[in-house]
Amino acid sequence: MNSQDYEQIQSAPQLRPMARGLRYLSAATIDLPLLVFVLLLCCIGLSALYSASDGDIDLIRRQATIVGVGVAIMLLVAQFSLRLVRRLAFYLYLGGVALLGLVLAIGVEANGARSWLDLPGLPSFQPSELMKFIIPGVLAWYLAAQPLPPNPWRILVAGILTLVPAGLIVLQNDMGTAMLVVMSGFFVLLLAGMHLKLVAVGGLLVILASPLWYIFVALEHQKSRILSYINPYTDPAGAGYNIIQSQIAIGSGGIYGKGFGEGDQSRLDFIPESNTDFIFAVIAEEFGLVGAMALISLYVLLMLRGLQIAINARNIFARLLAGGIVLIVFFNVYVNMAMVIGLLPVIGLPLPLISRGGTAIIAFFIGFGLLMAVGANARKSRLPQN
Amino acid sequence: MSRRWHFRDYQAERRLFKRRVALVSSVICLMLIILIAKLAHLQVVRHEYFSARSDGNRLHVQYVPPQRGLIYDRSGALLADNLPVYNLTVVPEEVGDLNATLKYLASLVKLTPDDIETFQNQLRRSRVPYSSTPLRYVLSEEEKYRVAVNSHRLPGVNMEPQLMRHYPFDDLAAHAVGFVSHINQQELDALNETEFENYGGATHIGKTGVERTYERLLHGQVGYETVEKNNRGRVMRVLERTESIAGRDIGLHLDYRLQMVAEEALGDYRGAVVAIEPETGGILAMVSKPGFDPNLFVTGISNREYSILVDDEINTPMFDRSTSPYPPASTIKPFLGLAGLDLGLVDYEYTILDQGYFNLPGVSYRWNDYTMRTAIGGGHGETDLRKAIYQSCDTFFYDLGYRMGIDAMHNFMSLFGFGANLALDVGYARTGVLPSRSWKMETRGEPWYPGDTVNSSIGQGFMLATPLQLATAASVIANEGRMVRPRMLRSVDGEPWPLREEFPAPDVLLENPDYWRYIRDAMVMVAHRPYSNVFRDYGTAYEAIARADPDMSYQIAGKTGTAQVVGINQNVRSSSEIRVSDLNTDHALFIAFAPAGHPRINPKIALAVFVENGEHGSTVAGPVAKKITDAWLLDILRLDLSIQPEPGGEPTQRSPAEVAAVNE
Repeated sequence: MNSQDYEQIQSAPQLRPMARGLRYLSAATIDLPLLVFVLLLCCIGLSALYSASDGDIDLIRRQATIVGVGVAIMLLVAQFSLRLVRRLAFYLYLGGVALLGLVLAIGVEANGARSWLDLPGLPSFQPSELMKFIIPGVLAWYLAAQPLPPNPWRILVAGILTLVPAGLIVLQNDMGTAMLVVMSGFFVLLLAGMHLKLVAVGGLLVILASPLWYIFVALEHQKSRILSYINPYTDPAGAGYNIIQSQIAIGSGGIYGKGFGEGDQSRLDFIPESNTDFIFAVIAEEFGLVGAMALISLYVLLMLRGLQIAINARNIFARLLAGGIVLIVFFNVYVNMAMVIGLLPVIGLPLPLISRGGTAIIAFFIGFGLLMAVGANARKSRLPQN
Repeated sequence: MSRRWHFRDYQAERRLFKRRVALVSSVICLMLIILIAKLAHLQVVRHEYFSARSDGNRLHVQYVPPQRGLIYDRSGALLADNLPVYNLTVVPEEVGDLNATLKYLASLVKLTPDDIETFQNQLRRSRVPYSSTPLRYVLSEEEKYRVAVNSHRLPGVNMEPQLMRHYPFDDLAAHAVGFVSHINQQELDALNETEFENYGGATHIGKTGVERTYERLLHGQVGYETVEKNNRGRVMRVLERTESIAGRDIGLHLDYRLQMVAEEALGDYRGAVVAIEPETGGILAMVSKPGFDPNLFVTGISNREYSILVDDEINTPMFDRSTSPYPPASTIKPFLGLAGLDLGLVDYEYTILDQGYFNLPGVSYRWNDYTMRTAIGGGHGETDLRKAIYQSCDTFFYDLGYRMGIDAMHNFMSLFGFGANLALDVGYARTGVLPSRSWKMETRGEPWYPGDTVNSSIGQGFMLATPLQLATAASVIANEGRMVRPRMLRSVDGEPWPLREEFPAPDVLLENPDYWRYIRDAMVMVAHRPYSNVFRDYGTAYEAIARADPDMSYQIAGKTGTAQVVGINQNVRSSSEIRVSDLNTDHALFIAFAPAGHPRINPKIALAVFVENGEHGSTVAGPVAKKITDAWLLDILRLDLSIQPEPGGEPTQRSPAEVAAVNE
């Protein structure tokens, strides 16, 4: 849209209130490619859910409502000025940590994780889901204040900022989200230019510590997940069942898939958690390798657009924020898919924008809204001042 | 660190960020290659394997049990049909905690320990995985409702409709028709490979009687269906179906009306009746009393009910008296008489002077005439063969038997089916004992004594015959020597079904066919010769038959028998109150065929009546036989028995009046 369009819209008096809203929204805040990719993914998600739930219209309607609210929130967040976001980052962080503390005190348990907060007047939600986007914000705020690359002291402080909420989430018994929070901090540090030697040393420490974690810390269900990852057929009816049935679904889909609604494994309920964590198996069964590749391509396009926004961002804060958001989203996608096909042990992470969910999907829309805000900020800087 | 924040190099920081993005992107590329490679490995390289696994998850082959053939009587009445019922079945693979589920089910429906034990025995058998196993048969309406309401709490528990064998007449002909019951391990082991396959999904098998004999015809051919099941084992759709082939409907010679008459005629007595159609050998009625309700066995009889049936040592309702051996007593006299005539040992003029006892040459022991026991003593005086039959004179037959010898007696009697099971499709019938020298040596290890021959010649001693054998032998006399082996099966699917006789029993050929008519007339006199001034010169069944029904429109040829009972245990258990003195009462027997000596109509029925502890063949068994022949000839066949002399021609057979006049 150019300025002539605005004049035309403004000239139509009956459209004025809406046009004013449109002008406000369209002041280059919406990133069209990003919006298209997000909406495409949401559509795929809803149709996959239709198949996975065996045509449960109520469920689809509920999820479509959440997606609609999410898109609205995304467009709203895209309006935020980056300066405001930067100023608020630390307070959001403090608020987020406080909520995590509150969860430990009065949280509600669901699916083994005590991570839900049921406050009066609000729908129940998971503060931990929001944390994976608050961390890039607060670290970007902290690291951008000093020249990059950050010195070891600042890395240490950033690490502490990350590990405090991650630790609280571990206490909620939600290892997947805790790992995401840690990784989001790590990605911001990596993009900020943390020395690669430190990355290598850190990686080595994790590898060395993992056997100790396995022996002394890991819980029984975590151990069985690791074991069934190594060989699912040691306990085919128990811990290995999910991954075996998921692989049967994907493998039987073949190159072109069995067709929409024709996935025997999903239709006959052989895929566990087919609405949530294992929804990729439903897609791969019904649309085959071709469909799975198309979905992966869509995520890659989303990521590339995100990285482009990050590179073109006007300042360090915006760059780190955008880059952190893109990487954590993609990491989430990758871990989910790798888990479903048996490349990684079973970790309870949903597939962003596709899996059924409430807070999780809203959190992603907030993340994409921030990404759009960064893009808008960059374009605004190139526009002549008015 | 040389850099200071106020000398911040934004361009360098931007370059650093771009380098990091490039680094991360290349790592991501590598990860994506691994992901896609794994995906392609699953979906392309191992596609076939996983397709098979997917089909294995959802596709199940299950049996479609065939519908069991029906059993009709000769009039078209259903003796065994199939009724739809709902059974409670369990797929153990889908039940989480089997014991908890069984406990919960027991609170909803009646489950006896027997039910649970039978169920668990079935689980131990080799079975198709995910096939349902019956737990309780025939749920009541209320039980159906309770299970349906709680079905969400009962994964793997289903109510399956099934056609269940049902015997509409309950205990009528229970021994002859038999029953089906749960198939057991021995029965499965006895099947060959193709038969075993054919019993897939089968829960019942014929256990006794016709149900067992014609199991192969009745069972049918099992079908198969490929069904798609979901993760909870629910059948979503049937993909392929090979229909089962229903078993064949069979028709029996049995007539339910005659069977009813026979069972009623026996009254409260324990006993048996076998009635045969002489022309076809078809078994018209086969009664053993007391009976039992075969329907109890179909649904699984409880231990308590079963012990009531088997622990009763007196009434023994499960015991089939119609095919079990008893001393035939005097009922064998007509056959022995035929033997005497045919072997030339007696003729129509031969007489003895009966003094009431018989001595073996050189032996002082007296064989008394047992028919004299209750009378004033003495003998029959001048006695020929005919009188020896209608007066049942033991002394005559002691003498005849002794002169005949056991070897000739054995050979001749075996022609009538004694000592063997001639029935074509009553395989479970006992053979009885037709004693011989070799038989005694084999079973007793003793040589044959002349005294044994004397005992055998009045059907006592070692000699044992089943009611079925006696009826068969009677039908041979009715047929004047033509042997038609007895049979149950009359038709299959409504078509006549001739039974193949691999070893046909030969007809009985006599030197002079007139002997048949002589013996028949003697037997007619048993039932019809009236009292006269001559001492002891009436038929032994005259009182019970001809005198009881002076308007009789036809003649019965019969023979009474009274079998001595020896050695009853005093400590028998029984459900009914029976005095031991009653148990020592003699068994009453009667063999007969009718109409006898009719100018137009050949005998239509031959029968044997056995009444346990009935005391006298004449007084108890005779009236039973009369009721049966009346029912068959008059009520069921509705024969026109009137005798019109052929104009100008000699009557081919003697009229009753002539028969009665012969001895005057």
